[in-house]
Amino acid sequence: MLDYLTAAIVLLAGTALLLPLLQVLRGKSGNLAGYVLGLVLAAALVLVGLFVLYPSSVSWSGTLLIPDQLGGIFALVTVGVTLAVTVASFDFQKSASNPVYYSLLAFTALGMVLLAYSQDLLMLFVSWELMSLPTYVLAGFSKTRQSNEASVKYAIIGAMSSAVILYAISLAYGLTGSTQISAVVSRFASNPSALAGVATLLFVAGFGFKMSIVPFHMWIPDAYEGAPTTVSTLLAAATKKAGFIAAIRVLLAIMTITVAAGSFFTLANVFAVLALLTMTVGNVSALTQKSMTRLLAYSSIAQAGYMLIGFVAFSYAPGSTAASLGLTGTIFHVINHAVMKGVAFLAAALVLLQLRRADLGAYDGLGKRMPITAFTLTVAFLGLAGVPPLSGFWSKLLLILSVANGPYAWLALAAILNSAFSLGYYAWIIKRMYLDEGQSTERVREPFWFVLIFAVMVGLIIGIGLFPQQVINFASSAAGNVFG
Amino acid sequence: MSYVLSLLVLLPLLSAPVVYLLTRLNRRFGIYASLALGILVLALAGYVFWDVYATAASNSLAPGQYILQEKYSWISFNGFSLDFMLGTDGLSSPLLFVSALLTVLAIFGSRKLIDHHEAEYYSLIFLFEGAIMGVFTSLNLILFYIFWEVVLIPMFFFIGVWGGPRRKYSALKFIIFTFAGSTIMLFGFLYLYLGMGSSASFDIPTLQAMLAAHQIPASVQYIPLLASFIGFAVKLPLVPFHTWLPDAHVEAPSPISVLLAGVLLKMGGYGFLRISIGLFPAASAQYAWVFLILGLFSMFYGAAAAVLQKDLKKMIAFTSINHMGFVLFGAYATLISGNLLGIQGAIFQMFTHALAVGSLFMLSGYIQHQAGTREIPLLKGLGTSMPKTAAILVLGSAAAMGLPPFSSFLAEFMVIAAGISASAWTAISIMVPVVTAGYFLWMIKRTVLSPAEPGHEAHDMDWSDVAGFAAYLVPLVVLIITSYLVLTPAEPLAQFLRGLA
Repeated sequence: MLDYLTAAIVLLAGTALLLPLLQVLRGKSGNLAGYVLGLVLAAALVLVGLFVLYPSSVSWSGTLLIPDQLGGIFALVTVGVTLAVTVASFDFQKSASNPVYYSLLAFTALGMVLLAYSQDLLMLFVSWELMSLPTYVLAGFSKTRQSNEASVKYAIIGAMSSAVILYAISLAYGLTGSTQISAVVSRFASNPSALAGVATLLFVAGFGFKMSIVPFHMWIPDAYEGAPTTVSTLLAAATKKAGFIAAIRVLLAIMTITVAAGSFFTLANVFAVLALLTMTVGNVSALTQKSMTRLLAYSSIAQAGYMLIGFVAFSYAPGSTAASLGLTGTIFHVINHAVMKGVAFLAAALVLLQLRRADLGAYDGLGKRMPITAFTLTVAFLGLAGVPPLSGFWSKLLLILSVANGPYAWLALAAILNSAFSLGYYAWIIKRMYLDEGQSTERVREPFWFVLIFAVMVGLIIGIGLFPQQVINFASSAAGNVFG
Repeated sequence: MSYVLSLLVLLPLLSAPVVYLLTRLNRRFGIYASLALGILVLALAGYVFWDVYATAASNSLAPGQYILQEKYSWISFNGFSLDFMLGTDGLSSPLLFVSALLTVLAIFGSRKLIDHHEAEYYSLIFLFEGAIMGVFTSLNLILFYIFWEVVLIPMFFFIGVWGGPRRKYSALKFIIFTFAGSTIMLFGFLYLYLGMGSSASFDIPTLQAMLAAHQIPASVQYIPLLASFIGFAVKLPLVPFHTWLPDAHVEAPSPISVLLAGVLLKMGGYGFLRISIGLFPAASAQYAWVFLILGLFSMFYGAAAAVLQKDLKKMIAFTSINHMGFVLFGAYATLISGNLLGIQGAIFQMFTHALAVGSLFMLSGYIQHQAGTREIPLLKGLGTSMPKTAAILVLGSAAAMGLPPFSSFLAEFMVIAAGISASAWTAISIMVPVVTAGYFLWMIKRTVLSPAEPGHEAHDMDWSDVAGFAAYLVPLVVLIITSYLVLTPAEPLAQFLRGLA
């Protein structure tokens, strides 16, 4: 019997392969490709949702895919973000070759769905590449000098990270004779060796590129700024999350065993230092940016730092309440961050589209010119800063709570101070939008599709903020998959 | 279960969008609707205030008991649970009442002073009021923190959109200072939660029951005390955390200054009593002298700095720092000496300061509006050119400097008496009202009693405005006779806090 996940995969793969055929219409198709992909992604979202509600085994995949809640969350988030990006592209991406653009989006979505459910290192790597390769092209899609540069830079760094991951996989296979994640983990545990540690660190580095953790973050601001802003949305809100699911699947499983080593060089310490560096570097750099996309890029780096806190809690106290709080917080923050950062990038895309400017000066007096966009950005920013009762508050609360007492209390304090600090630049933009006078007060058109996405995503930020219970339950059961 | 308190929180929050739409449709209608809704909230708060008083008067308010309690489960998973829990007692009920009263008066005072973006303005006032009601009624630390933060957002826009020339700078400074302070406070709460082990909870009554059973050792209390101290000290504000306040006040429109001084600063005093002393009593008692001296220093610093100000509004802002120092001073004097007058006086001081300073802030707005300046040396001959304004200014100053028959006298007297019972040398605090009286009288001499400048015509306020000001000052006079309304419910709380330490 065909299960829902298989249906979603077939649907996405078929669309991705067939969409370029619309190219024969030579630009007479209008947004047809976009509308098709929008419908397909909506259908895929429903199918994945059904799969989450009624999980079943995926018989054809053997031991490659695992139908758990953890995969479900990441599949939902990534497909949801791709859908939002697609809808925003109706207005943003009107060039003649747009069937190819949408086809690449479909390939990325397919890669992310497969990645979310992978439980085999090779499957993981294949879906990782399936997700990454189209985004290299997408980043260069506007064919300007800056966009090309972003694309090349991203492709080189991306290829490097893939190579690093592949090397780690080969080490893992060489040491254990298996590519099954669970088998690798149990054999690492029974046979600890220095090489296993090297493989683990290589995984950290490889996934770290996508997760945008410092010091693997250098490419992020350039790529996000140069790529078409809708694609930056995809990179920040979706493929970055794919880095997290890979890390959760592979690293957290390994972490439960290497923590007993007793030396300073434990994974908990590694992650604590990375988390501290990532959030601090991200926030401090964001403060000095003059372009919106760069600011959002650095803020996105900082948010990755918060998410890492859950890894720390998980690895220093495996099996404890703090660990489950932390991991739930990470997964919850992944969901919230995808929504908040996604909508912030899309709002920046709309401003770029309508005003042809990306510098912060374009945001002066935006409250009068584009009231819906300005309000959306305000909610997203307050959410990112962790102001209650918006969704970002809850996930940060869980993350910080997980380490607030114990050996890593300093990390909790650092995260809190970082949050307070980050409000500095978020409030600065809000101030520019509402308090400063712009050069013009003329109303600017806010297209229907953008407004629709803004409404849905602002609704999610506020709705999850007021009634977080269901989402927390979901994240908590997904976190349970890691423990299990 | 009673629903009064959740209604008290939700009614203003739900009024915000209603008022926005009504004011967009019709300006006058929107303002009337705001006033009506504000009075409705005031009636509810009055009911709560009376209910607490009646319970206390019939001796059925046990120390540490919260009445009108409500509790709904909000989030719970994996051993982490969070309740939407409300309740009130002799500490919060007067603050609820005075906040609702000042909101009505601020709306009343805004009708002439606010002339743009009115729909946004009035709806933000209700968002602010709802959040404030939430702060004062929350019995759960996280819920408390949430409302605490929500208060900041309307205030940021109040200062930033409707403020004076340096409004943008002041708004940013305000939000960064207070947000930084409150996130550190949150860290304290989380630290406490994890430090308690398996029986961890965020519910204040649960925590206090554990305190009474000596289940929260002093060693867990130090860091939360320090962290929450920073949050509250920024709000109170305590010197040296006060630098945002003069900026915020000077730039904020006058009705907002009323809310800022009358309501927002009370959050700091409330936090010290409810949380610093109420949840970390052992640590608080150990460092009580430090807090007492900080309060005393703040009292003197505020008074001394006020003497130097040329801007009438800035002078009143420093008066607030001076007056709020009394709250901290009184609270910790009780911890040291066991004299209940300290905490009772602190609560009473918060109530009277809200009204006295509220009237002065509102008045400074009128004076600026009518005379075109707030510079004390430039305001001459108000006594002859604006007699009604001058009379209110004199009365308001009398209330602020603690002159009988205004009940601010009683509040300051109680606090100082408690201070003296803590240690004889704190009698030096009696010099604070002297300085305060000094700069107020000097200000009156220069503005009201000076000869008018010829050819300088100013319009006096009309009788409806006088009625508005009477609403600030009459309760102050009435309360010196009926002070039991506030002091009776405050007594069990004071006993409870003393007993914890």
